[in-house]
Amino acid sequence: MDVQMQKINKSFDDSGRRRTIFCSTSARFPSGSVTVIVGKSGVGKSSLLNLISGIDLPDSGQLRVGDHCISDMTDTERTLFRRRHIGFIYQFFNLIPVLTVLENVILIAELDRVSPKTYLPRAQTLLEQVGLWDRRSDFPETLSGGEQQRVAIVRALVNNPDLVLADEPTGNLDQDTGRKIMQMISSLVRDQRKTLIMVTHSPDAAAWADQMFAVADCDLAAMDGPFHEPSHG
Amino acid sequence: MNRLMGSRTLIRTCLRHSRRHLLRTLLLIFGIAMGVAGVVAIDMAKTSVEKSFEMSTTALVSRATHQITGARLEIPQSVFTKLRTRLGIHRSAPVISRHVTVPELDDRIMTLMGVDPFSETHFRHLPLGTDNRDLSAVMTGSTGVFIAQSHAGRFGLDIGSPLTISLGGRNTTVTVAGILDSPDKALLQMLEGLVVTDISAAQEILDMGDHITRIDLILDRKDVAKEIQEPLPEGVFLVETDQQNHAVRGLSRSFENSLTAFSMLALFMGIFLIYNTVSFSVSRRHRLHAILRALGATRSGIFFTVMAEVMVYAVIGSILGVLLGILMGKGAVQAVIATVSEMYFTLTVGQTDIAGITLAKGLVAGILTSMVAGLFPALGAAGTRPVSLMHKSVSEHRFQKMIPGLFAAGLVILTAAALLMRTGPAQAGYDFTGLFMIFFGAALLTPLIIRVLVRTLLAAGERLLGIMLTMALRNITRSLRQTSVLMASLMVVTSVYIGIEVMTGSFRQSIVQWVDDHIGGHVHVSSADERHPALDPDLVARIRQLPGVAAVSAYNIHPVFSRAAGKVHLFSYESNQSVMRWSWTAAPETELASLLESGWIFVSEIFARQHQVEPEAGAAVILETREGPISFQIAGIFRDFFMGGGRVVMSRPTMARYWGHDDITAMQLFLASDTPAKPVMDEIQEMIPPGSLIQVRSGAEIKQSILAVFDNTFIITSALQVLTAMVALTGILNAVMALLLERTREIGILRACGTLPGQVRQLLIHECFFYGLIAGIMAIPLGAVLSWILIHVINQRAFGWTYDMVLTPGVMVQAVVLSSAAALAAGIFPALAAGRTHISEALHME
Ligand SMILES: Nc1ncnc2c1ncn2[C@@H]1O[C@H](COP(=O)(O)OP(=O)(O)O)[C@@H](O)[C@H]1O
Ligand SMILES: [Mg+2]
Repeated sequence: MDVQMQKINKSFDDSGRRRTIFCSTSARFPSGSVTVIVGKSGVGKSSLLNLISGIDLPDSGQLRVGDHCISDMTDTERTLFRRRHIGFIYQFFNLIPVLTVLENVILIAELDRVSPKTYLPRAQTLLEQVGLWDRRSDFPETLSGGEQQRVAIVRALVNNPDLVLADEPTGNLDQDTGRKIMQMISSLVRDQRKTLIMVTHSPDAAAWADQMFAVADCDLAAMDGPFHEPSHG
Repeated sequence: MNRLMGSRTLIRTCLRHSRRHLLRTLLLIFGIAMGVAGVVAIDMAKTSVEKSFEMSTTALVSRATHQITGARLEIPQSVFTKLRTRLGIHRSAPVISRHVTVPELDDRIMTLMGVDPFSETHFRHLPLGTDNRDLSAVMTGSTGVFIAQSHAGRFGLDIGSPLTISLGGRNTTVTVAGILDSPDKALLQMLEGLVVTDISAAQEILDMGDHITRIDLILDRKDVAKEIQEPLPEGVFLVETDQQNHAVRGLSRSFENSLTAFSMLALFMGIFLIYNTVSFSVSRRHRLHAILRALGATRSGIFFTVMAEVMVYAVIGSILGVLLGILMGKGAVQAVIATVSEMYFTLTVGQTDIAGITLAKGLVAGILTSMVAGLFPALGAAGTRPVSLMHKSVSEHRFQKMIPGLFAAGLVILTAAALLMRTGPAQAGYDFTGLFMIFFGAALLTPLIIRVLVRTLLAAGERLLGIMLTMALRNITRSLRQTSVLMASLMVVTSVYIGIEVMTGSFRQSIVQWVDDHIGGHVHVSSADERHPALDPDLVARIRQLPGVAAVSAYNIHPVFSRAAGKVHLFSYESNQSVMRWSWTAAPETELASLLESGWIFVSEIFARQHQVEPEAGAAVILETREGPISFQIAGIFRDFFMGGGRVVMSRPTMARYWGHDDITAMQLFLASDTPAKPVMDEIQEMIPPGSLIQVRSGAEIKQSILAVFDNTFIITSALQVLTAMVALTGILNAVMALLLERTREIGILRACGTLPGQVRQLLIHECFFYGLIAGIMAIPLGAVLSWILIHVINQRAFGWTYDMVLTPGVMVQAVVLSSAAALAAGIFPALAAGRTHISEALHME
């Protein structure tokens, strides 16, 4: 799914002062591509992902995901859209502590009243793929950081979303684990030709990217390639 | 100085934190205020009864140290003359005193007092005029009386105005001959309960012949007392005024103490509430404390900061509570004085007394309670390690390990409470301590019970419940440290509510039973004439013969003097249809009738308690008869709700011999099943000579009026029930809000993943429903125990009567519905707010 930002303005009320994050920003993230977003802390990277996922709304401008105009939807429509078309991976894993690994993964499908026949096999395949099927009945707090992040990745992918957003997915992991996680995300996404937009500080992030943007001065600036070995497929 | 500055910064930091949660802070203050208000209102009611009692009696007895009175509550006037002339006792005054109603004064109950103005100088400050004229001289024409200035003003009466004195249906018109006035405010208030006249006028109004009620005496030497008692005729005796007042005052003491129990309950809810709120706000500030500690704040610094903050709320809440209590107290005073007047002794002066000590008590109670409740959270906060890595889950983990220990401790405390209540002295203080321990012990049991209940529910229907319900249930056990406090509070409140409900319900049922047992006749004929209550024997015989009358109870009732209770009522039946329910008998029930014939007596439970009858030690009681004090053997003690000092049932010969009454003063007619009451009543009415004071009433009417009196006595209890519920609800609302606030981040995640606002609301509502459901289930056994204690310990001590506990399934359902509804109500607002959660903000929260 294509993601298109057109003249997006976004600012926050920062204890009385307005703080502008994006000013007439336009950008396009093509379907099936991997985009890496970099930028200093506090510059607005997470806000960008929030806008794309419909968690936050732009002050003005148009945001299209596929054929849908996110910025024109109601809250419920955006929620349902997010549920069915977007997978979100967070820096802090953000698993629900009272649900087991498997329950965390299938939570949304259950809420959507999808038949277990549809989602269970896929949940199993993905969990097996990340090596956590044996731990499906454990609670998140008994898992290591890397394992929790893997669960979060499976949760984001289980609905077979067209667009995957990842917000510093390795920010809380040691370098080794981080690298493995990165590898996993990008291969899962590439195998299934998903659109991936990922915020990361990982030094070798460029290695995974089709394109790269830097958030700076209230805008997105495209960075020059090449970002990875030409023959990644 | 530096230290002080430091803690000031700390306190400012925390107060700023609370301002962010303004609504919850306000709820906390409101809760404290309500608890304090209950204590103040009840205490005000108690001191007001005390004051009213004093004012209603001291105006009458004044400086008298002794009184001479008679077994039949009156003595011949000649006793006074003899006392003066033969014994030369000059500091003595004849008194007539009787409660009458005065239609012109709003049907107020007044004490009609007949005095001898010349003898009065030693006793009372009755401002009967400056020149000490003989009263009868002032009163020309019709009988003259004096009334208080305030009444004269309020009801537009002046010298010469006619006034009606009504006693048991007999009306006498008198004239206002003078106004009692005094610059002394207190004295003036006491005078408000009086209608004063001279002895002979009072005798005339009350149709007393040459009798008086009593003689007041001032004796300085004990030996004089003997000298006086010696020549008194039989059935006339000397009593000490103080002792007598004490006996009468004692009647309602336990009732007032039981009210204190209820106000303590409200305060106890307060403790839970404050503990709840403070511990929540402390746990929310965990990070803040950890950072402050890391920056160099000391343990004691943090401790005092938390306590100081609690203190601020406690002081504000307590002051508000005192003000609120004064407002509520005005209503409570009315209700309590009405109950005391109906059940124990007539209060002719209703005084609202706001004692400084009451207000101080309220303040101290509020502040101390808050301090105690804040202590543990404050200690916990002080124990915060100066590293922010420590997560909330650590303290939760520690708590989870303590749960079995808490359960054991709860069992120990419950056992100790049971022992205390069984074997401890029968004093209100011990009962309250026991009650407090029961609540506390039960609260300690809750974490384990909740865990077991939730796990059972989960195990039973994990698949069935669906992921949302599963989440809701797991959320409960995950933060048991907090949720168990919440559910324990809810359980305690529900059980209090249920306890009071069961008590009132059981009580009412017993009253209805008692009315049917003792005054179940379809038609009642009785004399309203208090002086000459005897029904004409001819009339009695004719009524017996009426067609449709299947059975008759015919008997007499006479009030007599009692040293222990002031006044008791004697009954003797010529024919008796009433059913006795015994709480103790000296012999098998079949033999009781013959014991009665041979001169033994039956006494009511209240009588037994007032006269300290101890069945084990060969029950007997000394009664003042016209032949002097006589000891009577007690054949049985029966359950009874007759008011005042209790009653005694004896055989007709016994009554005739010792008190000289062999009349019939009341009849109950039991009609054949096909006979309606109305025609019979009309027929009787026709037999009654015009102008006589005989009342003919239907059984239904009497039953209703009796139930009305008893319902009245429970007004104050119901008010306290509502108050308790309100205190509790604020606490629960507060706790639920705090608890759900902690879920903000989780809700953010759910929403970000694609959960709809409605589903989030549903989750929280489910969670609240489970809080209520589990608390309600736990409240059923606790409520049953509580109602048992209320009925068999506290109420029995307060009123002296026993009745059976009636625990219906309806009440249990009510418990569950009530606590679920309360929890749901508390959850609605936070749930709505959660539906509107700003996702990106929530995700940033820690
Ligand atoms: N919901 C919000 N309300 C107010 N300010 C916000 C909100 N979300 C983000 N911000 C502010 O916007 C800026 C960018 O935040 P963020 O997108 O999280 O930065 P980054 O992810 O690049 O570190 C920060 O200054 C942050 O404080
Ligand atoms: Mg960020």
